[in-house]
Amino acid sequence: MMGLDPCAKCEEVLQPFLDRELSEAEHAAAEAHLDECSYCRKRYRFEEKLRMYVRQACAEQMRPELKAKLAALRTPII
Amino acid sequence: MSSNGPETDARRIASDARERVRFEEEVMDLADQVYRVARRLVPTREEAEDLVQETYARAFRSWRSYTPGTNLRAWLFRILTNLNIDRGRREQRAPATQPLEEGDYFLYNRLEADSGSEDEERIVERLSQDGIVDALSVVPHDFRDVIVLVDIGDFTYQDAAQILDIPIGTVMSRLHRGRRILKQQLAEAAVQEGA
Repeated sequence: MMGLDPCAKCEEVLQPFLDRELSEAEHAAAEAHLDECSYCRKRYRFEEKLRMYVRQACAEQMRPELKAKLAALRTPII
Repeated sequence: MSSNGPETDARRIASDARERVRFEEEVMDLADQVYRVARRLVPTREEAEDLVQETYARAFRSWRSYTPGTNLRAWLFRILTNLNIDRGRREQRAPATQPLEEGDYFLYNRLEADSGSEDEERIVERLSQDGIVDALSVVPHDFRDVIVLVDIGDFTYQDAAQILDIPIGTVMSRLHRGRRILKQQLAEAAVQEGA
């Protein structure tokens, strides 16, 4: 994007970057900027940690009783 | 009775049974992932358990509609999200005009300014895990479904589009807006806690 401040451009691609949905060229461009910009690097690292934290917060295990109920729904082997 | 004779029929039945067992085993291996996603799609554990049971009952019943070699996870999660929609949990609509923060860096900037720390790890730890779960539950359904599939279910944009039967561009815009809503909730919660 012509004329866009590199940090603004980097902020714009933060989500697809972490989702691994950027093209190779876009990914490389973002990485090159991150190599030299500690302002963006810090914010990317924060976002990565935030996602891990969200994942941990949502890592509720199912009760074994439910798993048993699901197994009981399977076709009986005759 | 088929004209192939009893022996061929028996072989076909046996191979059918083997395929079915394999299918059911693969579906069972995905149960933890299905539950984790279901748990965030609905408000309570009981509802999540019902939803998962219905999903499995339907998956086992309609196993023939799955084409071996295609994406089984996406197939199964599509059943889950469709059942969730059918269960009438869609009354909550996204507030179309809710003003949102302008950029993706704002949560970090807000928390950093608030805490005076520059350490990302410490800043993240200011958010409580319960707070995250609460914040996610406030995100409107349409946006939350996409966040949950991509961030918790680990699906690509393409898979999420297929599961929810929406264009990939819609996945991206909902994800974008949904994550902003989530961050806004987290920022508000952090400010309240700090106050």
